[in-house]
Amino acid sequence: MPEAPRHTLVIEGLHAEVAGKEILKGVDLTLSSGEITALMGPNGSGKSTLAYALMGHPKYKVTRGRATLDGKDLLALPVDQRSRAGLFLGFQYPQEVSGLSLSKFLWTAYMQRHTAENADAETFGKDLDTHLDYLGMDPSLLKRSLNEGFSGGEKKRVEVLQMATLAPTFAILDEPDSGLDIDAVRSVGETVAKLHRPDAGILVITHYQRILKYLRPDRVHVMVDGVVALSGGRELAEELEAKGYDWVRAGSTPAA
Amino acid sequence: MSPSTSEVQPLDYTRYDFKDPETYKVRTARGLSRAIVEEISRLKNEPEWMREYRLRAFEHFLERPMPDWGPSLDEIDFDAYTYYANPLAEGETKRKWEDLPADIKNTFEKLGIPKAEREFFGGVGAQYDSGTVYHKIREDLEKKGVVFTDTDTAVQKYPDIVRKYFGKIVPYNDNKFSALNSAVWSGGSFVYVPPGVDAGIPLQAYFRINAKNVGQFERTLIVADKGAKVHYIEGCLPVGEEVLTGDALAPIESLTEGQEVVNSDGVATTVERTMVRPYDGDLIDITPVSVGNAFQLTPEHPVLSVPRSDVQVSRRAPPRTTGVDRKKLANARPRFVPAGELRSGDFLHYPIHRTARDDPSLGTPELTVLGYYLAEGVTRIINGGEAVTFTVPLDEPEHVDDLAGAIRAITGTPPWVSPQPAEHAVEIGVSSKDLFTLCRWHGGTSAGKKQLSKVVMDLPPEKQAVLLEKYYRGDGNTYERSGTAHRVSTTSRQLAFQVQELQARQGVYASIDVREPFEETMKDGRRISHARAYTVSHPRGTRFRAVHRVPDGFLVPIRRVRRTPYKGNVHNFHVAGSNNTYLVKGFSVHNCTAPVYSTNSLHAAVVEVVAEPYAKIRYTTVQNWSKNVYNLVTKRAHGYEDSLVEWVDGNMGSRVTMKYPSVYLKGRGARADILSVAFASEGQIIDSGAKAVHSAPDTSSKIVSKSIAIRGGQTSYRGLLHIAKGATGVKAAVRCDALLPDDLSRSDTYPYNEIHEEDATVTHEAVVGKIGEEQIFYLMSRGLNESDAIHLILMGFLAEFAKELPVDYALELNRLIQLEMTGAVG
Ligand SMILES: Nc1ncnc2c1ncn2[C@@H]1O[C@H](COP(=O)(O)OP(=O)(O)OP(=O)(O)O)[C@@H](O)[C@H]1O
Ligand SMILES: [Mg+2]
Repeated sequence: MPEAPRHTLVIEGLHAEVAGKEILKGVDLTLSSGEITALMGPNGSGKSTLAYALMGHPKYKVTRGRATLDGKDLLALPVDQRSRAGLFLGFQYPQEVSGLSLSKFLWTAYMQRHTAENADAETFGKDLDTHLDYLGMDPSLLKRSLNEGFSGGEKKRVEVLQMATLAPTFAILDEPDSGLDIDAVRSVGETVAKLHRPDAGILVITHYQRILKYLRPDRVHVMVDGVVALSGGRELAEELEAKGYDWVRAGSTPAA
Repeated sequence: MSPSTSEVQPLDYTRYDFKDPETYKVRTARGLSRAIVEEISRLKNEPEWMREYRLRAFEHFLERPMPDWGPSLDEIDFDAYTYYANPLAEGETKRKWEDLPADIKNTFEKLGIPKAEREFFGGVGAQYDSGTVYHKIREDLEKKGVVFTDTDTAVQKYPDIVRKYFGKIVPYNDNKFSALNSAVWSGGSFVYVPPGVDAGIPLQAYFRINAKNVGQFERTLIVADKGAKVHYIEGCLPVGEEVLTGDALAPIESLTEGQEVVNSDGVATTVERTMVRPYDGDLIDITPVSVGNAFQLTPEHPVLSVPRSDVQVSRRAPPRTTGVDRKKLANARPRFVPAGELRSGDFLHYPIHRTARDDPSLGTPELTVLGYYLAEGVTRIINGGEAVTFTVPLDEPEHVDDLAGAIRAITGTPPWVSPQPAEHAVEIGVSSKDLFTLCRWHGGTSAGKKQLSKVVMDLPPEKQAVLLEKYYRGDGNTYERSGTAHRVSTTSRQLAFQVQELQARQGVYASIDVREPFEETMKDGRRISHARAYTVSHPRGTRFRAVHRVPDGFLVPIRRVRRTPYKGNVHNFHVAGSNNTYLVKGFSVHNCTAPVYSTNSLHAAVVEVVAEPYAKIRYTTVQNWSKNVYNLVTKRAHGYEDSLVEWVDGNMGSRVTMKYPSVYLKGRGARADILSVAFASEGQIIDSGAKAVHSAPDTSSKIVSKSIAIRGGQTSYRGLLHIAKGATGVKAAVRCDALLPDDLSRSDTYPYNEIHEEDATVTHEAVVGKIGEEQIFYLMSRGLNESDAIHLILMGFLAEFAKELPVDYALELNRLIQLEMTGAVG
């Protein structure tokens, strides 16, 4: 069997500020295709900031450092090109667009990706049905305005649905589990695991151990105060759940 | 090599212009006076009461000051307009489309009549400046007693109804412009629906101001008697034909400031000023080897060309007797030569358009379908649903597969394929709103109106090659079999020119030939009439030997130069940028730099609507006037017991619009629903709103106003909600949303509430939104570029309105916003 193509997303010494305040203070992180990576850390430590800075949010300014996807400088690209280069961000707080139906939006996004030859409405439709089914979503949501009036849980599932539609090389999911009921965490977790391809990598930002049970991350990183303070395997997540973050803070001196 | 215009001598620019197609059978002198008002009344042979009414209104107009609120109307010079100009004789309204003069027919065919009439509407009217040129109603409606005619005819034929309502809903002294309209009105629609009759499918009227400095003052009266129901739609739309705008030819007289045209470098620029002047002298007709590209201008107009004497093998030989020295030609710099000095054999400069913008939503399947659509596709309504059908020659199964595959890829369903042996063809068809929309949007509406969208014209040449290949293939009978030339034939002039342009981008100069319309008698005695057709062709393999490729385009020899005497108006315009050129029929000519006077038009209509008890009336307007029109319209309805009046009012065009559709709720339980949309771009002010006046109990009103202002445009909402003493149990809801995508534009809200009953339920919401940076970021993070992201947000904002419109209007709205957005971003 031929091996899946390998991809890497390399973040080196990334510094970023928002509203004039430095939030990221030298993040180093490497994501590889075939792997699921978890990023944890206390509120306000800069996890979402990292996600936004990578995606190119206009308010988040990178002041130093690099981020490359297979050697290609992501930071030099406008937002839409980062997306086309294979990056995806599942938002912690998704936006609403009134009057734009979810189905039209998904189709438009899909068409952006499938430039010429390979766009195929039939496959698109079939895949969409499959994904809705995985996520336990009501197809009537497709007719409604994007995220408008969606419940917190519906919004999170719509983010995963978009990821499924766009099939990115690297997906960052910012708290896909927050606000979800127990069954929903499971269907989202299982769906993301199913969608995970050997030629793609996923970075999942979360506070909870529960979703990681389904995702079975290969690596777990902990961000504290704008840097990756601690890294380890799956067991690290359990340890954090038991002990809290103070323990990391205490031990996050360079000596540790 | 692009020509340097700085080498051109300054010239007297006052005499280089184009012919004006405006012709009127009846026209009053410019300006307004009591005598003009009387003349209009006399021309219409009106009853005395109407003549007196006009004169009273005129007196009031003189006394009444200009409004001291709202947008500035200082530029309006009432003496500069012509108040009555009719291309037909008064009262000569046609009921047969074929009877219309060709140029008027063309104008309106661009708007979808009479096709619209056949497919979607119960009746159609068309007004060209002051004259109602066409009015027709379906027989079944006529039998039910529905009256749909122009208001002038109604004054003569239905005096009782007209007298009962005329001026009763909007009195002449309501405002300065209602007084003006009442004095000089001409045309407009009169609709009467008898008790209990449901007119069913909509009645539609089109309004077009053709000439600058001509005012249009139509007067519309709609009466739905007890329990009757009617939907009336009016479209106020500009049309384009004839000139060079980058995606299409437009008539020079229709160009307005700010419009995009292409210059001799093949680059888009904008019209800065337009001018018109009377001319009496010869015009030069220039016919290049591509006959279809013939054009006409004044003798002094500078045309970019390479005179043959510059490039002949032998300088001394008389012109055209010796060959062209290819080396000399390759190095020749085109220069400006007055049209009057051009000779046959000289070369004209035909530049290649260079703008390219990709649109990923048009991939191979879409372009394949469009190619076949151009050749033999028809959009139609089948069983009430949108469908597209194609005819492909029977003996070309690979084309059937090709097309069917593409349709399937787009719609997800396989098309039906039905052989038509008698026609020696196969019909392929599919019911699909998406495909219907795709074809009409990017390929035009019907055979004579096939026209590619700007998006397609701007695609990268590799993609356009796909489209051309399929089009030439689908056109079938000439592609594979004729041994010598590639060619396609079409009855759409626009398409012929577009194909020529697309071929130029492929590095090929194709010529356009015209076949005049003719009738043919078949062996079996049937007579077949053939419309005018345009053939675009280029030799197979080799290029036209007479045409020479230069780096930025082609040099095309002139076949014939002629002079024709002409007396009438000529037009010219001035374009932005240092390259002072534009293209006529694809050929480079010089800009005009003479001073010009500003020209604007005035549209001051009055619309009166009456809904008798239990009647339902919906009145839809889509206004996309050119950006030199002052659009000052008074629209008012009276709604009696349990009636429903709906205004759906979209304002996209014009320089200034002031319009506040209103409903007076005069009977218990009457309802009003007013949905208005304003879209204002650079240089436009749209001051619109709504009024609901509740004078009876248990009445209800709902007002929704949506406005978008971009690139310095201004919108205002001005609303009045009045609840009279005694009108108990009233419900009223007002919602105004404004969207400002940038910092240049502005939007104001002026709501006035006068509420004299305590128990009224009134809600008022007003939201002014920026298009959030966050929203744009969110959409862009899914791969959409910025202008697509904004376009989606805007269309979403207007979705509530768009879904109330007939499909062609909704498409027009979408197209318009897309065009405005391309300018706004990047
Ligand atoms: N737009 C903004 N303006 C001002 N401060 C901001 C902005 N966005 C983030 N910050 C600040 O940056 C810091 C990091 O925020 P960030 O959202 O990255 O944290 P997080 O790790 O994702 O937290 P959480 O777990 O609560 O989601 C916080 O102090 C936050 O207040
Ligand atoms: Mg966060």
